Amino acid sequence: MSQTVPEDHVTVRSDPVDANDAVVAIEDLSLWYGDFQALLDVSLTVPKNQVTALIGASGCGKSTLLRSVNRMNDLVPGVTVQGKIHYEGADLYDPVVDPVEVRRRIGMVFQKPNPFPKSVYENVAFGPRLHGFKGDMDAHVETSLKRAALWEEVQDKLQQSGLGLSGGQQQRLCIARAMATEPDVILMDEPTSALDPIATDRIEELIHEIKQDFTVIIVTHNMQQAGRVSDRTAFMHLGVLIEEGPTERIFTNPQHEMTERYISGRFG
Amino acid sequence: MSLAHRNDADRRRQEAKRARGRTFVAITFVPVVLALALVATLFADVITDTVSWQIVEPAYTTESWSFTEGFAFFSTWENVVEKELVARGEDPAVVLDDPEERRKFRLRNRVELLWQLDGAPLRYVVTSSRDDTVADYGFFEGLRQLDAIRAEAGEGQEVRLNPWLDAAFLTKNASRTPVMAGLGNALIGTLWVIGLVIVFSLPIGVGAAIYLEEYAPDNAVTRFIELNIRNLAGVPSVVYGILGLYAFVRVFEFGPTVLSAALTLSLLILPVVIIAAREAIKAVPPSLRQASYGLGATKWQTVSQVVLPNAITGITTGMILAVARAIGETAPLLLVGAAAFIPRAPEGPLSTYTVVPIQIYSWVAENDVEFAHVASAGILVLLAVLLVLYGAAFYLRRRFERSW
Repeated sequence: MSQTVPEDHVTVRSDPVDANDAVVAIEDLSLWYGDFQALLDVSLTVPKNQVTALIGASGCGKSTLLRSVNRMNDLVPGVTVQGKIHYEGADLYDPVVDPVEVRRRIGMVFQKPNPFPKSVYENVAFGPRLHGFKGDMDAHVETSLKRAALWEEVQDKLQQSGLGLSGGQQQRLCIARAMATEPDVILMDEPTSALDPIATDRIEELIHEIKQDFTVIIVTHNMQQAGRVSDRTAFMHLGVLIEEGPTERIFTNPQHEMTERYISGRFG
Repeated sequence: MSLAHRNDADRRRQEAKRARGRTFVAITFVPVVLALALVATLFADVITDTVSWQIVEPAYTTESWSFTEGFAFFSTWENVVEKELVARGEDPAVVLDDPEERRKFRLRNRVELLWQLDGAPLRYVVTSSRDDTVADYGFFEGLRQLDAIRAEAGEGQEVRLNPWLDAAFLTKNASRTPVMAGLGNALIGTLWVIGLVIVFSLPIGVGAAIYLEEYAPDNAVTRFIELNIRNLAGVPSVVYGILGLYAFVRVFEFGPTVLSAALTLSLLILPVVIIAAREAIKAVPPSLRQASYGLGATKWQTVSQVVLPNAITGITTGMILAVARAIGETAPLLLVGAAAFIPRAPEGPLSTYTVVPIQIYSWVAENDVEFAHVASAGILVLLAVLLVLYGAAFYLRRRFERSW
């Protein structure tokens, strides 16, 4: 992957998102790990109740961008961030913003299923408890599990360890756990890369269903997956957002030569 | 290239290589066998040393009763004691109905079932611990010369196999008379000291580990502290004794008390506790922390609700091993003033005390062959306690070991 990006590259945007539909608007975001610049002036608007896919080769910065949105990068020592991420009229990187509250409102599902070594029930109840949930926890857990299409399979083993579930079930448990804190946005970092095709299929179906209630940003290595689940796609390369637009347009009629080469499988 | 040997030279090289491997395995195996043999010898020696043949002159063995007369399931002891007291012309109720009298009687007397007495098999007798010992022979020596020893026993004397380690040994207190000596006060002292050690070292040790692992910035100061903790774990324990003597006994004026001992031993095991707790905390996979942060947990919520519950097994295991070390420590306690003989069991942190290893040490130092048996019995108790602790640590590690 030796292709370099010109210094003055301007992101190619087709059919830009209307500002009124935006939930998260990333504006000129640059990020450094120590001296290494991982993101270069990335601007991306994420529309409400849609699935936005971030694609690109390994090391292109798509996971970094995703983790910037809920300030998970703050946990990495030596990270500096420049630029803004607008969310509900505030800048997420404004010093007055509490990253802990950000992460409650913008949930995350990780690459490898990582349920806590607790019961299924406790996994789902963990987030609400943290935030002082007052109400019927049993009903809340049930709703969350139903939304994650897991209720049918686990209703008889709510008190068993979450680690006893299959990989796909574990990942859906993690999705249920993320939904239980009632976030607006759910970030998914390659959520199916550790799963078999059938489990992957179920997660993809699930993503389709949950976008009625949530805005989803998903990082994926798998271009077919981006094509199947997302409404909009953003292609990144070496920390630069090369092109973004409606998924169909990106896949059938990419405007930039690099995008075209990537999705036709000529590099990456 | 074919996997088969191409020629004889090749095969010979292969065989030579394998032979070298076997030799190496054999060499590493020798020290293992030696170590096991040494441990086995030690155990055998200690165990056989707790039993000795004695010629005793019974203070009073007035009567004996046949098995059918004496045996009464769980109340055999009461039954035989009652008969004995009646035979002595005393009122059995005085001893049997008063718990304190009963305890005293139990400490001084033993109900024994003898294989043979006066030509009759299986007779119950009550023997007194105050019996005068005429001679004492080791277990194997006694076995070899049993007939000679029997011949040596004079009128009114009898040859008896004395098991020094019995239930009463755990409740009897230190005594100038070997048959009367036991671990009672020392065990209570050890319980007090170790209890306080846990109270002091667990919160401080785990707290320090959490700070170093989760909060401390990665800088020169932190690294200096870490290096020193590792070094402190290797400092000879007697040095901690000198520190404890100066700091706790003298400066803080706690004197030679349980408190001084517990603080000194806490200092001694803190580095070990901290290192073990850090390892346990480090072993909690980062993915779980990420999951917790991702749900909007604060650092402290993540540490207290995700990291610690998952590190607790490792911390407990480390704590048990550290406590096992503290239980066996002798040198620092000699310096901070554990007493060889104390008349009463410690009643609080500011009591004088003795502990099991100190008690054993003072028995070993006695110039009396019978005290050697008492010391062996004490060692066996100490080893049993340690074995139980190590077993618990091993069990915990096996039972709750997780693969992530």
